[in-house]
Amino acid sequence: MAGETPNGVDPSSSPAKKPLYEASTQFRSWRYSPEQLRQVRQKLNVGAVAAIRKTIEENESGSSASLSFLQPDDELVLVKLYITKIPQLCGHFRFPEEVEATAISYLKRFYLKNTVMDWHPKNVMLTALFLATKTTNNPISLDSYTSNIPKTSQSDVLGLEFLVAQSLNFEFAVWHAHRALWGLWLDLQGLPDLTEALRTPEVYETALKHVRASRFTDAELIYTPSQIAIASLSLASPLLSNKWMDSKLPSDAAAAESYRQTLERSNSTIGEMILRDAQPPNVEAAREVDRCLKLCKNPQRVVGSKAYLARRAEEERRAEEKRNKKAHDFHKTIEGDDPFGSELVQIGQETQDMDDDD
Amino acid sequence: MSNRTNVGGWLVGKTIRKGGVTSSTAQNTRSNTPQVQSTSSTLFGGGVKDASGRTTEYFSMDDQCPVCKSDRYLNPKLRLLVSSCYHKMCESCIDRLFTLGPAPCPICQKVLRKLAFTPQTFEDLTVEKEVAVRRRIAKEFNKRREDFPDLRSYNDYLEEVEDITFNLINEINIPETEARIDAYRKENAALIELNVRRDEQYAQELRDQEEQDRLEREQRAMEARREQELEREEKEKGRREIIDRLETSSKDAAKVIAKSRAEANKRAASRVAAATTAKSSAQLLRSRAAQSTAVPDVPHVPLQDNWYAYEDMYTRLDRYDDMYSEAVRQDREGIMRAGGYKVEEAWERALRSAVTALFLPPLSGLETPQPGMPSLQSENPIPSA
Amino acid sequence: MDAVEKANADRQKRWAKDQKVGEGTYAVVYRGREVASGRKVAIKKIKVSQFKDGLDMSAIREVKYLRELHHQNVIELLDVFSSKTNLNLVLEFLDSDLEMIIKDRSLVFLPADIKSWMAMTFRGLEFCHRNFILHRDLKPNNLLIASDGQLKIADFGLARDFAEPGYKMTSQVITRWYRPPELLFGCRYYSSAVDIWSVGCIFAELMLRTPYLPGETDMDQLKTIFRALGTPTEEEWPGHAKLPDYVPLGQFPKTPLRDLFTAASGDALNMLSRCLIYEPGKRISALEALHHPYFTSLPYPTHPSKLPKPASKASRPLEEVDGNVEMTDIGPGVKAAAPNRLKRKLSSPMDDLRPLPRRLDFAQHKGS
Repeated sequence: MAGETPNGVDPSSSPAKKPLYEASTQFRSWRYSPEQLRQVRQKLNVGAVAAIRKTIEENESGSSASLSFLQPDDELVLVKLYITKIPQLCGHFRFPEEVEATAISYLKRFYLKNTVMDWHPKNVMLTALFLATKTTNNPISLDSYTSNIPKTSQSDVLGLEFLVAQSLNFEFAVWHAHRALWGLWLDLQGLPDLTEALRTPEVYETALKHVRASRFTDAELIYTPSQIAIASLSLASPLLSNKWMDSKLPSDAAAAESYRQTLERSNSTIGEMILRDAQPPNVEAAREVDRCLKLCKNPQRVVGSKAYLARRAEEERRAEEKRNKKAHDFHKTIEGDDPFGSELVQIGQETQDMDDDD
Repeated sequence: MSNRTNVGGWLVGKTIRKGGVTSSTAQNTRSNTPQVQSTSSTLFGGGVKDASGRTTEYFSMDDQCPVCKSDRYLNPKLRLLVSSCYHKMCESCIDRLFTLGPAPCPICQKVLRKLAFTPQTFEDLTVEKEVAVRRRIAKEFNKRREDFPDLRSYNDYLEEVEDITFNLINEINIPETEARIDAYRKENAALIELNVRRDEQYAQELRDQEEQDRLEREQRAMEARREQELEREEKEKGRREIIDRLETSSKDAAKVIAKSRAEANKRAASRVAAATTAKSSAQLLRSRAAQSTAVPDVPHVPLQDNWYAYEDMYTRLDRYDDMYSEAVRQDREGIMRAGGYKVEEAWERALRSAVTALFLPPLSGLETPQPGMPSLQSENPIPSA
Repeated sequence: MDAVEKANADRQKRWAKDQKVGEGTYAVVYRGREVASGRKVAIKKIKVSQFKDGLDMSAIREVKYLRELHHQNVIELLDVFSSKTNLNLVLEFLDSDLEMIIKDRSLVFLPADIKSWMAMTFRGLEFCHRNFILHRDLKPNNLLIASDGQLKIADFGLARDFAEPGYKMTSQVITRWYRPPELLFGCRYYSSAVDIWSVGCIFAELMLRTPYLPGETDMDQLKTIFRALGTPTEEEWPGHAKLPDYVPLGQFPKTPLRDLFTAASGDALNMLSRCLIYEPGKRISALEALHHPYFTSLPYPTHPSKLPKPASKASRPLEEVDGNVEMTDIGPGVKAAAPNRLKRKLSSPMDDLRPLPRRLDFAQHKGS
């Protein structure tokens, strides 16, 4: 595999070898190009608007034409607002950085599969954080979690947990840039010609700050944690990062040159991303989006709205119909006089029960 | 083996099984001449052997040697042998004509040698000839169905073999048939050899199997005998036990007898159970041994997966000064070390994540990576190292 | 029906449930097959509603780690889908497990068989450790055997990733008979050596055909270990007296392993002793074990396809299934052990007298 053959190891020995990162779910299903990201969000937004417009037509009297729906970028602003809230919550609960980073990743990934108009980021954020505590092995009981957060009920958090897990298609493992940065910082000590003066803790702190800022951007969906770490370090101290990169380039010139280009390109783009997008969204714009959201939220989700009731009734009807079909089968077998036919149905009945109970 | 049976058999001209021979003659003649003493010094081997490797020689009252016309009545020790041109002759004529070297057959003038004579097994000489010819051809043409790509070619092969055999038996242009046989032999020498060895191996396996079954039967018989003895002793002991229990204990006889009988049964049951597991495990071990030849055991290979964990992209030092591992260094009491916590593992993991997929170029454009494990080549145009 | 639900429904249609194979307190296991290919699978359905904290920790762990690990000696998680109130894990179907084989008295173990099983176990474990994942529940009935004889590590319900800088971990893990002394002394900072101790106990059990260190309570487990391997001294295991739950348990003499493992070869004993070293730091690592002369010396490990398998396929009736779902002979490829009540199945009379090891409920534990 071309891209991955590191410092001059002759390809014949390792072509059969597959890098471990490629087995990770983060590489296989949560890796996009910027264009793909825009396309996914665009498609989601358009789909949601159409669906909501249809439900409003059916149930609400007013025509939906007058309503102005959110654009993908508006959704992004709102999601980013709630991403910035996660570190504050983690500080409050004193969760480790692993939990904070995982929760942010979950929230971002959730909104690649759903839209803000269906599920408000406020609840999703709480559920994502609760799920992150469990998947990173720092469990906290639900009561102490909800008691510390004003006006949130346990059912809010639990209700969404299943949906969040489903939206992540149950891929809970996330590789983070802050561990890569720590590894990088350690590896710097391995560089022979490094004067201690350069490797000051302040440099590490600023780099870490950049890594944390990168979490407010789409960097982790495009680049790998090691690339984000080296980019953050090069923002903090270009000299150190170049020295480290040179030590990591393969001895074979051609490959070294191509890798250097890849790294330089990724460093610059990530650097731009961090400096440009990492600012928390100004609260005013976010409130504006929120007000607009209240109007065009998907009625089916709004408890008590007609659409919600309609949907609930429809679900009820489907469950009802399923139940009496089963009852009907059951009767048929009981009074069925045909000696041969019945037990065949009986067997069919039995396995059918199996499938029915989930 | 009483003597009476074989004498009667001899008189009425039935073929006599080798088994009937009295032990005395068995020693000196190696395998096949029945009770009649062979007047000639040579031993005539060959002839058709049955499964157990013995030949039965054909005798009848009105045997007569066409050459010297002496018959059974005048010379009870008359023994007729068959030449390679399937003419009968008595032993004395053979000695007379052929001891000095090869000579023409008195009946058909074909040049014969003394050793070419074989005892006669079947009453009808043509049958004898056919069996001999088929046996000879079978040795050469020993191909099997699986040596042929399809059924058609196998059938052709069989037909040809049948032609050759027919010609040989009925002596239709023998030289041309012999030529065909040689040609075939040249063509398939290797395959013939292979098949011969395979047949031998098969025969060998049959013999082993037979041997093992015999051993097992013997073992089982011995076990059965031992068990009977054990049971007898058991019963004996049980009876004596009851008697002296009756003398000593005050309880009534019925209860005592019942108790000791229950004990005896329990002991017998456990003995039987032990025997069955022992037998089945022996059987199983033998089947495991047989199985081992089918699939060879491969020498141990430490790692069989082909995952690459970037080992060659970083080297871990023994010591780092870093604030995270401060906690461990201050661990004066060694709680962490006693528990086995190694900060090196944390360093290793951090270092590896710093180099993981460092040079992996990001996706570009709208092409979606294939589901599952996309291989790298297809995605990035970077020339390989 | 938005995109997520549709995707989930599609995944659900891919698999068909055949018949129930086992039932535990927190999961029901069905045998099923992939509709398209007919491949046999085990579907583990986890009832989520009954846990007050939502998705249960061991379900999350099993999904998280099995999704990441792809190795021939680690069980493969084919798919995950959810229906209204429960979570379905689709795992590959494996007919038997090592415990069944050890308990099946009609099977005879050759030294080469034990070597082959141990090699496969170490390969699976080394791969987990290479991904910085501790299994923390290794025991014979979590090592499943596929029809082609490959051994696969299963039940990642207690796994966690290690090498977190300086975080405390719970010591209430691993079934007691296979739990290393440092955990019994309640240590909160441990490493991959905990799994190696369990593999050592399994190795011994393969040779003895009965559990090597069966303790009844945590205290008794420590006594059993000390009786078998002698009480550790300070230089043997520096600093062990300072572990949180340390309590002196009296001096036991150190008896050589050869007395108990009379049939074992020198290499095997060396390997076993290096797995059961008291100081975790000195215990052999999975990678070193794979390069140990025990494996490279003769006899070669048996080819997996020729390893003994339990002959009797007769499945015992379902009602014999008890809490911990290690049930029928034809058992599913999957064990749905309840987190709070794992007990070894009472199958041989010999077990009657010995009460069963209990694993404390991890979920309610304050902080791990």
